[in-house]
Amino acid sequence: MNYLLHILTMINIYVILVLSLNLLVGYVGLLSLSHAAFYGIGAYISTLLIMKLGLGFLPALLLAVVGTVLLSYTISLPSLRLRGDYFVLASLGFQIIVFTILYNWIDLTRGPYGIPGIPRPIFFGIEINSIGSYFLFSGVIAAICTGLLYLIGNSPFGRVLKAIREDEIAAAALGKNIVRLKINAFAIAAGFAAAPGALFAGYLRYIDPTSFTVMESVFILSIIIIGGAGNISGPIVGTVLMIFLPEVLRFIGLPDAVAANMRQIIYGLLIILIMRYRPQGLSGEYRFE
Amino acid sequence: MSILELENVTKAFDGVLAVDKLSLGFDEAKITALIGPNGAGKTTIFNLICGLIRPDSGAISYRTKNITGLAPWHVAQQGIGRLFQDVRLFERLTVNDNILAAFKNQTGENAFLSVVVPWKVVREERSFLERALQLLEFVGLADKANDLAENLSYGQQKLLSIARLLALDADVLLIDEPTAGVNPTMVASLLEFIRRLAKEGKTIVVIEHNMNVVVEIADWVCFMNQGQVESFGLPNEVLGDPEVRAAYIGL
Repeated sequence: MNYLLHILTMINIYVILVLSLNLLVGYVGLLSLSHAAFYGIGAYISTLLIMKLGLGFLPALLLAVVGTVLLSYTISLPSLRLRGDYFVLASLGFQIIVFTILYNWIDLTRGPYGIPGIPRPIFFGIEINSIGSYFLFSGVIAAICTGLLYLIGNSPFGRVLKAIREDEIAAAALGKNIVRLKINAFAIAAGFAAAPGALFAGYLRYIDPTSFTVMESVFILSIIIIGGAGNISGPIVGTVLMIFLPEVLRFIGLPDAVAANMRQIIYGLLIILIMRYRPQGLSGEYRFE
Repeated sequence: MSILELENVTKAFDGVLAVDKLSLGFDEAKITALIGPNGAGKTTIFNLICGLIRPDSGAISYRTKNITGLAPWHVAQQGIGRLFQDVRLFERLTVNDNILAAFKNQTGENAFLSVVVPWKVVREERSFLERALQLLEFVGLADKANDLAENLSYGQQKLLSIARLLALDADVLLIDEPTAGVNPTMVASLLEFIRRLAKEGKTIVVIEHNMNVVVEIADWVCFMNQGQVESFGLPNEVLGDPEVRAAYIGL
């Protein structure tokens, strides 16, 4: 039972992460490889606020969101004027820089040693101390974030982002301030990536930079590619599948050494098959071209 | 009285002059046709006005305000709309969403407000939907409202792009080859429709290759060649000019 609750908690965390990236990938049509960086920034800011300043979990989470949004401008202001492929490379650069900082700023982040002993969230005197209660707690936050992202995605803001995705020049000719809209979308996506960062840190009670690498960014992106982009259901289907899949593979009875490699191969194959036969993903709206 | 004016505008691409010290004004509530051979600089003028490219020198003003070098979205917000020759629809959005995306001053385009005051956004959206439906009925696409724009025929896409332009509610409409690729029965109603817009006070600049169309709708005709205005006047004057006929129409 705990095992299942653990997986479901991870799904809660990843759903927010994937849905927030979906705002960029599925709505604006921007492939971003920096999402794990924002996830990590959120985890570190909230953890440091809790451990160094003694803040409660929720204020720390909210401040982590604000801080991550502000940091998002350091990449979005210079790079969102770039088009397509160049933006992908710029986001990759940002991801690498953030990882390097987390890894080497030892005074602040303890670098590769990581930060252990992160206290459990406490609400109104109640400590979230069981895996079941953390599942519920993360579920509530995931539901709130999903609801907000749904509202945003289906708002005129979401619609104009899709218009930009389809044809930037036409959208500009209709008076839409493309660069500002993109920068806002990027800030929102970054802010929503910070929340699962805080949840992840509070759940494992230990963080180190290896959870927030380029590979993690690629993983988050591949969940969207497999599940589908441009709506709410695609990212959710993708998250559930991609978090459950390795567990299913474990039950097939492969030896652990082989299982890890098999997982990568199966992910790779899945992406190739989806791109070939179902470019909109399992449940997405937006077809990659 | 010119509402939109280009003054001494020059633009070169890789050293080749596309527009050469060109001065030209467009009268309010009139239809001005730009004609001339391919490469004369007609579409370049549209791109210059819209802010898609910047002039090397010279100035563009709209209602006496200098708009030279403004970003395309800013130019559009001033009230200058553009119909692209290649329609440029939002293809994977529905017909309805193509129109809805074009309306100005949408509270819900601010992500924060769309979450904080959703009721206001919903109320606004209702009136936008109503206007979108009117525009779609106007161009005869109401029954396609929920189809994806990419699934329309070319003629229908053209009509949708016109409806989308009208949703912007601009005062100046730059229209690039409205009749190209539209079937002949539709051309008549399209022209009627452009004339009506001018009567309602819209200033219209149209690039058109079909001389019958030009004669039928234009108040003024501007014949361009090699980036310059060769001849400007009433349709019959310009089209009757032997030089124009020789250079362009080949008669």
